[in-house]
Amino acid sequence: MTLSISRRLAVMFAISSFVLLALISVALHELLERDLLRHQRAELNTRLEVNRPLIVKTVRAEDWTHVRNKFEAMTPADGRIEYRILSDDPRFTYGDPLPAGFVAAEGFGVLAEGDREPPRKTLVRTVPGNGERPDVRVMVAADSTPFIETLQVFTLWLVALVGGGTIIAALLGYYIARLGLRPMQRLSLEAQSLMPERLSTRLQPAHLPEELAEFTDSFNGALDRLERAYQQLEAFNADVAHELRTPLTNLIGQTQVTLSRERGVDELKDILYSNLEELERLRAIVNDMLFLARADRGELARHRVEVSVAKEVERTVEFMEFLLEDADMSVQVEGDARACIEPSLLGRAMTNLLQNAIEHAERGAQITVQVESRADHARIAVRNPGSIPQEALPRLFDRFYRGDRARSGGGENHGLGLAIVKAVAAMHGGAVFAASDNGMTTIGFTVQGP
Amino acid sequence: MKVLIVEDEPKTADYLQRGLTEQGYTVDVARDGLDGQHRALEYDYDVIVLDVMLPKADGFATLSAVRTRKQTPIIMLTARDGVDDRVRGLREGADDYLVKPFSFLELVARLHALTRRNRGQDATQLYVGDLHIDLMARKAWRDNRRLDLTAKEFALLAALARRHGEILSKTTIAELVWGVDFDSDANVVEVAIKRLRAKIDGPFATPLLHTIRGMGYVLEVRESSGRA
Repeated sequence: MTLSISRRLAVMFAISSFVLLALISVALHELLERDLLRHQRAELNTRLEVNRPLIVKTVRAEDWTHVRNKFEAMTPADGRIEYRILSDDPRFTYGDPLPAGFVAAEGFGVLAEGDREPPRKTLVRTVPGNGERPDVRVMVAADSTPFIETLQVFTLWLVALVGGGTIIAALLGYYIARLGLRPMQRLSLEAQSLMPERLSTRLQPAHLPEELAEFTDSFNGALDRLERAYQQLEAFNADVAHELRTPLTNLIGQTQVTLSRERGVDELKDILYSNLEELERLRAIVNDMLFLARADRGELARHRVEVSVAKEVERTVEFMEFLLEDADMSVQVEGDARACIEPSLLGRAMTNLLQNAIEHAERGAQITVQVESRADHARIAVRNPGSIPQEALPRLFDRFYRGDRARSGGGENHGLGLAIVKAVAAMHGGAVFAASDNGMTTIGFTVQGP
Repeated sequence: MKVLIVEDEPKTADYLQRGLTEQGYTVDVARDGLDGQHRALEYDYDVIVLDVMLPKADGFATLSAVRTRKQTPIIMLTARDGVDDRVRGLREGADDYLVKPFSFLELVARLHALTRRNRGQDATQLYVGDLHIDLMARKAWRDNRRLDLTAKEFALLAALARRHGEILSKTTIAELVWGVDFDSDANVVEVAIKRLRAKIDGPFATPLLHTIRGMGYVLEVRESSGRA
């Protein structure tokens, strides 16, 4: 089960908002941190520079007490700022000694001292020696807790804003998606009303946004094709029922009549034989229908081999030889093509086509089979004298269609012959064609090229 | 010849048993897949007829169970025409298959083929009553009179004579004589039989070539004149 489109969109909105807000937050955080640092340094600098003149002008050791007092006075009671004056001469120092190992380098630095957390920021400047006073280094250390607290509060707010913003974006996104998808819901409701009983109903693209109109058109196209297939199937089912009804009626009736009275062995045998003939006819119809169903399912010929089509046609002509002789007809095969076909299927189609030609042509007619190699397919056409009404041509390959109604019921032919030709063509990725003009009829099929 | 029929449909199983028994087979019937497996593994059969749709264990399961230990020829009966069924059956070790509805004659023919009965006799001279066929010289005589047959007529006669006394369906004849392995509506075989009959039976008192309505044709000597 995948997420609904609304949820999916909501999640995507949330993710994009999160990414955007997070980037902005990181940038803001960075900016603030830099600004705070700048402020802190400015303060350290100011504090140091303010006191510098005092040190500069103090050149004697006995005046240093004044300097110490001054610095004492300037150090705030809360210990936020601490001053130190470092010198090689112990007379010119101020403040606590530095922790062991700490080197007070010139410029800005960090002083980690004892248990004071966080480490303090420092600024060290050297005041050049003058008179008794050697070079001294003045150090200002400032507690950075306020800065860090400010930064922490700010960060907390940012996290809250990112989180909240993401949630709001998700909710808004969900709502917007629902709103945007409303036409889909309408479409879905419409689609729900489509029923097999009302096959001609279609989705109405009129009141839909253009993005959905294309989808609706394709969907309606699919419905058109389904409707046609469905109607064909229904007609086919009716035909099948009809075709099976006659032999079944015969079988039931004949058996009932036979059993209603004592019969001799010969008579019983005769009836069994007759029943067997009807049953064989039923079997042939069922087998042919199963074959057609395979083609309908889109099954393709599996055992295709590359052959000379004309040679295969000659084989079928040889098979039909006796029938042709009886009808005083002859077959001429013209042209050739190499194609990948399943020989037994081609044979079956050719037999049916020749059978059709023999049935519909006059005695003594000349039948021509033309084999041609086209760009991407091979074309096999059976041409015989005789004409078929133009209106009958498109229906020629329909199942159980018999151009000549009087013929129905007679012989072995149960009206599936040309439908099978069509199925064979389809199984080879080809198609069928039929034409009738100037007293000549051409019926044939194509198979996809080698 | 011992044959095992694994089939749950009672009518089918019964007529197969009766028909094959009359054809001279010793027939056992199993009504479900498990019983079928048990019998197939327990006893030695010359051939097994195995339905695909079976209770307890279906035909494919039964097939693979038997194939783990035995190479008894198996012919499968499928009701569906699905290619998958056929391909699967053959891939998993079945020797042949028939799609329902099938004709009994067809089944008998396939069983003969599988058990190699009526095969292998490389006789060059065949005799059916007063009919004499020389397969090498491709000539035939009846009552010592030379029969004037075309090549196809001779092939048809030879096919019938090789399996004389046995009913050959039109499909089988089409396959044996013309190498045609598909169903066809064309009544080529009837016409060919009519021609052959005119030549081998026409001028003689007792017919040898008989039509069995709804089934096919048989070449044999009959005591009384058979039905036409």
